[in-house]
Amino acid sequence: MDADGSAARLRRDRFWGFFWFVAALVLTILPMQVQQGVSSVLRATVLAPFLWTQESLQRARLRTEEVDDLRAQLDEAMARLVGLAGLRLENEELRATLGLQARLPFPYVGASAVRPGTRGSDSLLLLDVGAQHGVSVGDPVISADGLLGVIREVGPVNSLALDWTHPDFAVSVITETSGVGGIVEAWRGSFREEDRLFLKGIAYNEPLSAGDLLVTSGLGAYFPRGIPVGWVDSEAGSEAGWQRSFWVRPVVPVERVTHVLVLRGSIRLEDVDLTPAWSGAEWDFPDAPEADTLTDSNALVDTEGSE
Amino acid sequence: MRNSILFVPLLVGFVLAHLLLRVGLGVGDAAPDLLTVSLLLSARQVRSGQAAGLGFFLGLLEDGFSILAFGANTLTLVVLALLASRTRDLLVSETPGFLLAYLTVGVWVRGVLHWIVTAADLRTRAIPALLIEAPVVAIYSASTVVLLLVILRVVQWDPQR
Repeated sequence: MDADGSAARLRRDRFWGFFWFVAALVLTILPMQVQQGVSSVLRATVLAPFLWTQESLQRARLRTEEVDDLRAQLDEAMARLVGLAGLRLENEELRATLGLQARLPFPYVGASAVRPGTRGSDSLLLLDVGAQHGVSVGDPVISADGLLGVIREVGPVNSLALDWTHPDFAVSVITETSGVGGIVEAWRGSFREEDRLFLKGIAYNEPLSAGDLLVTSGLGAYFPRGIPVGWVDSEAGSEAGWQRSFWVRPVVPVERVTHVLVLRGSIRLEDVDLTPAWSGAEWDFPDAPEADTLTDSNALVDTEGSE
Repeated sequence: MRNSILFVPLLVGFVLAHLLLRVGLGVGDAAPDLLTVSLLLSARQVRSGQAAGLGFFLGLLEDGFSILAFGANTLTLVVLALLASRTRDLLVSETPGFLLAYLTVGVWVRGVLHWIVTAADLRTRAIPALLIEAPVVAIYSASTVVLLLVILRVVQWDPQR
């Protein structure tokens, strides 16, 4: 009797072991939409308290760091406001007269960015804005330095974004000065600290110098023109003797990003150029070679094209 | 160890601490892998079917933040739970030294399994991932937990054994 019971328990145990294994296997091959639905439900229920904790801590940290700065700015702003009150009224009257609405140069929404920190969530950012804030899949995510990534999944009040270290990240770019264009993709190093960007598809006769700033070209469905992506670093190699590729040093250090802007869907217009938004920035290119130009066939050529 | 009154609260605490440290406090990989440790300890105390179910649930929690590798953590932890439950019949000991070795190997195997089931274009290179990162995480996680268990007297340190 005991032997029968033990055998039955063993069979039941094997059945359940096999069942959970098959269930886990099925999870990996579900359509991506279903997988995203499951993960969204988990984040909205079981994992919500932990996400809330991280968001709250981050907000508190930001507030602590910025409170002195904000106080000084507030004092300055109040002083200016007193002087500008008359101008503001006049401006509003003019806008009303012309039928314009007071608005920002381009639609965006600010968000706090947090890292999930679990295995398999590398290159993902959780943002505290979602569909209710006008965010949609494919919206560019930027920081004060330039392009950070793109929105991949949107919930009602939060969203998931890929940063530039993700293998799926790719963007069409041009140089700010010479207008040479190519595709920048993520390149993963042996360790995450070695992650960088890779520019490919540059013809041999096109001028490109170390230190050239690459900005989004505006081609494709997601990114408007003029968002800084990275600096040309060094030549990575050549393909079939007629194309070159380069390492690119990203402008946005992903590990330090805590606050981002999401450019909302309506920005995706081919004639939109965001270059002026960064024109006042002072770029600091660490370890950049000086303007001197390398002259052999495998080296960089200067921006005037002289080899 | 199972008889310890602290055993079940401790395992639940490990899971909560894992999520709190890695997600809530944003510590990330700097925190020990307490989720895997909790599964490895539990799997030796329950039947293999139950261990696999626990692995499924815990893996699903971690997959809540995975998009392109969804299910990899779940599959990894189910397989790990099945393997870990088999060790109960093969290795009978609860000394701190055994636990340290068992958890170190277990967490390292978890890293290896996860690397295998993750799509090729999403994972880092084999040698750094499996021979440098995974062993460091394994030793760190195992030693942290064993030290904690000894301090809490859930396992007894006996130099004679």
